[in-house]
Amino acid sequence: MATTETQLMLSVGLIEKDVNGDTLWVWCYPSVASDLRQLLLSKCCLTQDGREFHTFVFGQFCRTWYYISTVEVQEPTALNKVTHFSIVVTAKDFNPEKYAALSRILCRMYIKHGSPVKMMEAYITVLTKGICQSDENGSFLIKDYDVRKAYLAGSVKDVVSQFGMETIILYTALMLKRRIVVHHPRIEALLEFTRVLPALAWHRKDWSILHPYVHLTDTELEDLKKCPGYIAGFVDPEVSNRSDLFDVFVNLPDSVITVSQGAKDAMAMGKLHKDVGQLIVQSAEDAERSDSQVIKDVSVKTKEILANLAALAAECEDSKITLEGLKQHRFPPATENFLFHLAAAEQLLRI
Amino acid sequence: MEEVDKILIHALKQVGTEVSEDIDSVKQFTSELIVEAVVRCIRVIEPGLGSSLPTSLPPGMSARFRVGMSLAQACQDIGYKGEIGYQTFLYSNEPEIRSLLMFLVERLPRASAEASDQPTGKSAVLQRHIAAAIKTQLAVPWLPPNCRLPLHCEMQSVGSLHSFHTQHLSLPHCSKGKKQLKEVRDYQRDILPPVTSQLSHQASVVASILEQHTAELSAAQEWEHEWNSQGLLSRLTPQEYRSKKLTRLRKRIEEQLRSAAQTSPESAFGVPTSTSDLSELLQTFRGSAPSDHILTKGTHFTHTQKFTFTQETAAAPSAIPIGRQSEGDVQLQQQEELASLQQQIQQLCTNIDQIAADMKHMTVTNAQVLDELKQQELGNSENTEKLQVKKKTIDLLPDADNNLLKLQAVVEASAKRVVNLASQWEKHRAPLIEEHRRLKEICSSQDLESSRKLSEIKSLHEKIHMSTEEAKKKEEIYKQLVTELENLPHDASRSAYTQRILEIVGNIKKQKEEITKVLSDTKEVQKEINNLTGKLDRTFAVTDELVFKDAKKDESVRKSYKYLAALHENCNQLIQTIEDTGTILREIRDLEEQIETENSNKTVANLERILDDYKAIRQENSALAAKIREG
Repeated sequence: MATTETQLMLSVGLIEKDVNGDTLWVWCYPSVASDLRQLLLSKCCLTQDGREFHTFVFGQFCRTWYYISTVEVQEPTALNKVTHFSIVVTAKDFNPEKYAALSRILCRMYIKHGSPVKMMEAYITVLTKGICQSDENGSFLIKDYDVRKAYLAGSVKDVVSQFGMETIILYTALMLKRRIVVHHPRIEALLEFTRVLPALAWHRKDWSILHPYVHLTDTELEDLKKCPGYIAGFVDPEVSNRSDLFDVFVNLPDSVITVSQGAKDAMAMGKLHKDVGQLIVQSAEDAERSDSQVIKDVSVKTKEILANLAALAAECEDSKITLEGLKQHRFPPATENFLFHLAAAEQLLRI
Repeated sequence: MEEVDKILIHALKQVGTEVSEDIDSVKQFTSELIVEAVVRCIRVIEPGLGSSLPTSLPPGMSARFRVGMSLAQACQDIGYKGEIGYQTFLYSNEPEIRSLLMFLVERLPRASAEASDQPTGKSAVLQRHIAAAIKTQLAVPWLPPNCRLPLHCEMQSVGSLHSFHTQHLSLPHCSKGKKQLKEVRDYQRDILPPVTSQLSHQASVVASILEQHTAELSAAQEWEHEWNSQGLLSRLTPQEYRSKKLTRLRKRIEEQLRSAAQTSPESAFGVPTSTSDLSELLQTFRGSAPSDHILTKGTHFTHTQKFTFTQETAAAPSAIPIGRQSEGDVQLQQQEELASLQQQIQQLCTNIDQIAADMKHMTVTNAQVLDELKQQELGNSENTEKLQVKKKTIDLLPDADNNLLKLQAVVEASAKRVVNLASQWEKHRAPLIEEHRRLKEICSSQDLESSRKLSEIKSLHEKIHMSTEEAKKKEEIYKQLVTELENLPHDASRSAYTQRILEIVGNIKKQKEEITKVLSDTKEVQKEINNLTGKLDRTFAVTDELVFKDAKKDESVRKSYKYLAALHENCNQLIQTIEDTGTILREIRDLEEQIETENSNKTVANLERILDDYKAIRQENSALAAKIREG
């Protein structure tokens, strides 16, 4: 499957910061659209006024994943007048580890040779053959980096230990395909936290809802609004005033989760949620269980709920649920509400 | 001496002393005049001391004597250091009187000092005049309306008051650079009425003009200030700066309105009109479609709200018109109406609930459908791509192995070609980037230069500004002082005095030079004398010895020695006589000077008067003693 996997890589670009303080997009292959280029320049930490230096950041825009590694140039080097540079790799899939490793190799090549040509050779070999020689012993093989590993790389236990029982709010929001906004002033913490959240809805394995690094610009917000439900990470504290952007707001440094007014009735929680929440907390607190086992436990529970829902659907004609049908079962109102919205999210609702 | 006396007489006249016109020197002052002048001066210098002193000499001798003593005491209290007593006033002599009067006139407080402290400038003068006019008006006592003279009516009646009412004026103006339309110019020239006739009330002319002018002035000043502080730094032309400021302000307004519009839908469901207005306002700002679905939802809600509210309000008034029928009927009717209305309300509530539930359902299903649609679309695009790839593979499938090898070769070849192209491109790109960076460096260094020069220019501007202000101020002060000078009384001409003073100073300088010359000459002569005396002594001593040595042996030498001694003796005497003559001449000169000063003291006349007064006092004393013995 190496060929289909390499089709996922879209382009590679190079951004340099020179002694004049200018940050320029100097080179790319094959080509990068100008609005994407603008966006990538803004995401690259070299254009931002703060002195913070982020070695590796990633994000999503218009269903394209971008991975930016930044390196400071140390003497002696073949590059003159360049103080820092970033390598941007865009791809269709979510796999930060793979692209981080690839970028590292490309960075080292660029530093050593001072010309992007060598770098491009390496990129093309990866593109055509799926393998490339690296400076360290061994080589970079695409097939070493399985996408499942990327999905499971985050730590659910950390999330649960930070929020405890409130993790159920995040779980509910994810199940109902709601909009979650996370804020943290440091991008690395934001990336680490948000990448693990889609794992709570493991049955969908959908990481395209994840937009871990968004700024409050019009283009990005428009792109964000195209998705009905998303997980968006913001570094800008202003986002807490933008209640039109979220149903659930997570203030990561203060560990506070707020549900916005408009979503409160949809996110009402009952006994079912309490059970699930307790399960999550217990499973995470167990020191014997690893992260992937915790995710597995959660997904088992989720499958149970979905099986119930499917059973309810099967009872109705054309196997679609209606509100009247749900009402007949006389569930408690919170559970009924939740099942109704879940059916809509899983496309089991009759239109 | 005449000028000094003139100044003294002028100053005394200003203090209030009655000096007749034909007295023009201190020599002619009588005792009465002296006393009056001194007392008036003391009254001005120190009112406490002067109030107890009479301005005229009393007739009795002893009283006169007492007055003289107290005056002398008062002058000493003020600080006069010279010798002073009753005799200075009663038996005066010129130099003493002159020095006393000069001392007192100097001590007079400077009345002119206050005038120079007032601020200068045309507006300050105008304000002073206004203040003076208001003061005089306030000083006029208030009279009831019936008693008022026409003069008072002007100042005290209510009719002259006007309230401050302004109206907008349209003034013709031409903006620099832009060409005005011909019609506009014609309108401004022919049709636009003058400012004074644009207003409905004549009384508001002043107010309107003042307001217009102040508004324009403050706007210009603010722009000036802002441009000088921020505009110059931003290095944009004024138009660019203004447009930038406009966009910035618009953005801020947008943000504020948005945050305000956000809070209101959540908080108040019962204020439908304000949210719809705000949302419309926001729309006019953005004018873009994507926000529509949020806004239309809002307006849909508010429409239903409005609709239900109007229905309710329509339902309520219909209950009101009730005819005046009998009490029981009326009550029954009312109850029936109440019941039907309550039913209506119930129904409406259920309607509302149902509609709300429907809406909820709709939103949820809408979300579901959209989600499905999106997923389908994505699936479609993926499938089309996969289809294309599979098509191509199927085409190549029959001859699989060969084609595979061929494909691999093609891929390798194109990879090599791409790498080749990349290296060629790199050859072009690298020098261009180098050039770009080099030029940027030059640009930034030039930037530093230009910012430095800009700051220099700014400081120069400030200096120019300050110097023009100073020059303006000085011109104004000069004009004011010239007018004041013209208004001043011309009795004591200062220029004549200053001329004389400068002449005297010049003369003194010349005399000083001559004196130094004379002194140096004298020193020279004295030195010569000393030299010669010394030489003489030495020569005489040597000669004396020589001759004395030989005198013991020879008779003629002894005679010559005697002649030598006699010669020396006589010459010494001559010299001594000359010196004595000189000393005596000097003494004669001194004595002559003393005689002159004593002569001007009119001592003889004073002595006669003293004797007369002494006799008068003795008579008074005896009279008083006789009185005492009698009574």
